[in-house]
Amino acid sequence: MPTGSTSSHRFLESLPERQRVQLEAIATRRHWPPGALLFQEGHEHENIYLLLCGHVRLDMLVPDRGRTALLTVGPGDLVGWSPLTGAQTMTATAMALEPTQALAFNGTRLRDACTEDHELGYYVMRQIVITLSERLLSTRLQLLDLFRGHEPRASSAPDLC
Amino acid sequence: MSADPIDNAALWLGPKAGLQQVIDALRRTGYTIVGPMVDQAAIVYGEIGGIEQLPRGWTDRQAPGQYRIEQTGRDTYFDYVVGPHSWKKYLFPPRLAVAAVVPLQAGWQFERPRDDPPTYAFLGVRACEIAAIRVQDRVFLEGGYVDAAYQRRRKPAFILTVNCTLAGTNCFCASMNTGPRCTEGFDLALTELENGFVIEIGSERGRSTMADCDVRPATEAERSAGVAARQRATDQQSKRMNTDGLPQLLMANLQHPRWKDVGERCLSCTNCTMVCPTCFCSSVEEVPDLNTGRIERQRQWDSCFHEEFSSLNGRPVRNEIAARYRQWLTHKLSTWHEQFGTSGCVGCGRCITWCPVGIDITEEVAALREPAL
Amino acid sequence: MKPAVSAWETHAMRIVGIRPEIDGVATYDLAFTEQAGGDAYQFRPGQFNMLYLPGVGESAISLCGDCRAPDVWKHTVRVAGRVTQTLAGMPLGSQLGVRGPFGTGWPIDQWQGMDVVLVAGGIGLPPLRPAIYELLQRRDEFGCLTLIYGARGPRSLLYTAEFPTWQSQGLSVLTIVDRASAGWTGNQGVVTSLLERLELPNPATTAVAVCGPEIMIRYTALAAAKRGIVSERVWVSLERNMQCAVGLCGHCQLGPEFICRDGPVLRYDRVRHLLSVEAL
Repeated sequence: MPTGSTSSHRFLESLPERQRVQLEAIATRRHWPPGALLFQEGHEHENIYLLLCGHVRLDMLVPDRGRTALLTVGPGDLVGWSPLTGAQTMTATAMALEPTQALAFNGTRLRDACTEDHELGYYVMRQIVITLSERLLSTRLQLLDLFRGHEPRASSAPDLC
Repeated sequence: MSADPIDNAALWLGPKAGLQQVIDALRRTGYTIVGPMVDQAAIVYGEIGGIEQLPRGWTDRQAPGQYRIEQTGRDTYFDYVVGPHSWKKYLFPPRLAVAAVVPLQAGWQFERPRDDPPTYAFLGVRACEIAAIRVQDRVFLEGGYVDAAYQRRRKPAFILTVNCTLAGTNCFCASMNTGPRCTEGFDLALTELENGFVIEIGSERGRSTMADCDVRPATEAERSAGVAARQRATDQQSKRMNTDGLPQLLMANLQHPRWKDVGERCLSCTNCTMVCPTCFCSSVEEVPDLNTGRIERQRQWDSCFHEEFSSLNGRPVRNEIAARYRQWLTHKLSTWHEQFGTSGCVGCGRCITWCPVGIDITEEVAALREPAL
Repeated sequence: MKPAVSAWETHAMRIVGIRPEIDGVATYDLAFTEQAGGDAYQFRPGQFNMLYLPGVGESAISLCGDCRAPDVWKHTVRVAGRVTQTLAGMPLGSQLGVRGPFGTGWPIDQWQGMDVVLVAGGIGLPPLRPAIYELLQRRDEFGCLTLIYGARGPRSLLYTAEFPTWQSQGLSVLTIVDRASAGWTGNQGVVTSLLERLELPNPATTAVAVCGPEIMIRYTALAAAKRGIVSERVWVSLERNMQCAVGLCGHCQLGPEFICRDGPVLRYDRVRHLLSVEAL
């Protein structure tokens, strides 16, 4: 079981006071037991989640491989942001691996709030951009498969450390 | 270099054939004398028994990527600069057993191989070469580990220098503050004049060697003639390298377009590293004796220009020639300072002469000083 | 640095233990064929030996055992070339030569009073293991101790049998894999994500030690910086091919650093600018 406490309110704490209060006002708390799905790939879903505690696995269904795990996310991570873009069809399935709690934001309500209050919109979108760029970097590092063993150039090559 | 100090204790050896006495005195002391000689259309270093083996009447003509020797018809012994050999050939031999292992019934026995080098007297060492030897002293003697083989050869070596009285086209020792005048680090220093040699004593060892020779104090005229002759070497030097802030400049310009440019010309042939008197890269090879099973571990000269010289996880780090050239140049002129407290370059010009495509290190540095567009 | 003993001084050692770890990786226990007393063969966590197979060649391998038990030298070796391939075929009792120990070690004394985060990737855990043993033996001298360990997959994780012991002795062990296998409910992703999420009581007094692929080292140091841990408090273990192991043959240079002599453990502020230049 993965351990290690986290800075679960990183996302909220990065926002100015006023915007944080606004956001907390439209948030609701959700929780899931181990094995429960937060959302399913291909299905419509309304909420974006900010994990407070627990551990969630994201996977995609690859026909000839079956359900393929992509990554896990934990406290402080944003998961399921498709509703924020207006696209409501989820691109992955999210499953809780341990008792998990999150702040849930209704995508439509959040978008409306951002449209009404552009300052809120700016800060929310900015922080989401930062979060996404971090996730993109992580995905690229994962894609690089850095721990794959390197083949030596030739068996007659001098040995190298 | 500051004004040429006139050594009031300088000696005169004339006529020049008297140089044989110095050779004989050294030989009697037990030295193996190594000096310049003509071989295969070049002036190289080899064992010397008599002055007739020296390149009498020869001079050299050097240019980027060019070297030839020619007869001048004059009665001179040292009327040339430096050739493809340097004294590292003797102090840091191209091939040397560093360890050995003998198979036993139950396993291996690790041995230290015998190393009994001759005691060398180097005859004809130029100022840039003294500087190069002292650079290698820092590498092999003043780091965390002392290279015992280098020490065994270097410590007892007798240094008989020759002050240059001419400059080669590729020489730039003045820019590197290594010459052309020899001021220290020698046992004896010779300046060749028309009818004899002005000799300066640099050590007790040098003094006692001259005690056996037919010499007398040099006259003021002879000493002045020596100054004038040495001045010719300074005056003739045309190549320059601006070394102001060079270490920092090179490390701040690792992405300069000039690297790509020189990488397209450089053949990665390793000539420059072989002739460079300070280059010290090496590799160790397992050399088994098929009869006895004894394995010698032999250290040989290697070069950072070899593609596989530096690698990570089995792949070369410096795939492109441009990256390897950059490594050589930045090491020689920049990181060497951080590693050893001096520049790695002594301005001897050998790398320019022996580069098949005539790459000139002073030109490359000048180009790297130009702001990258 | 040791006084000038010959760099080529080779100890005769025998393989007294072989433990297969993961595919292509095994840990060798080496003992001296002639025991010398006392401090003769001490090593510091982070140092390495040159393992010598006569007629084949040498390979630089980090010491990965407890430096307080120096009678047996442990080396976790991955098959990567001719020497390691030959070693992989050698039975218990085989003799080989060992030169060493060489290089700089983890600056454990400098971490006294600090929280320490060790970040290991793949075969980067073995050079950190001696540091783990040392930190746990001196547990009271340090604050929070965390190991973040990433590997390709669950079956590539090394030393997993020791993790419960380390946890009980006060090291928080967080593992993460690039690719999950069926039934894996642990973390999946990259070590930098775990560092980004890690609770840090005081970044200003936190030290980070990293060992793994160079690109992982760079992004871990970047993640540490974002958390307020400056590069003067990040130490990394670097690799290059090595031969003499004493800074005389030139092979292992990275800029001015001889990895064998100035490293392999280097403080990150010293090498950060070097690691960002391609093909240096």
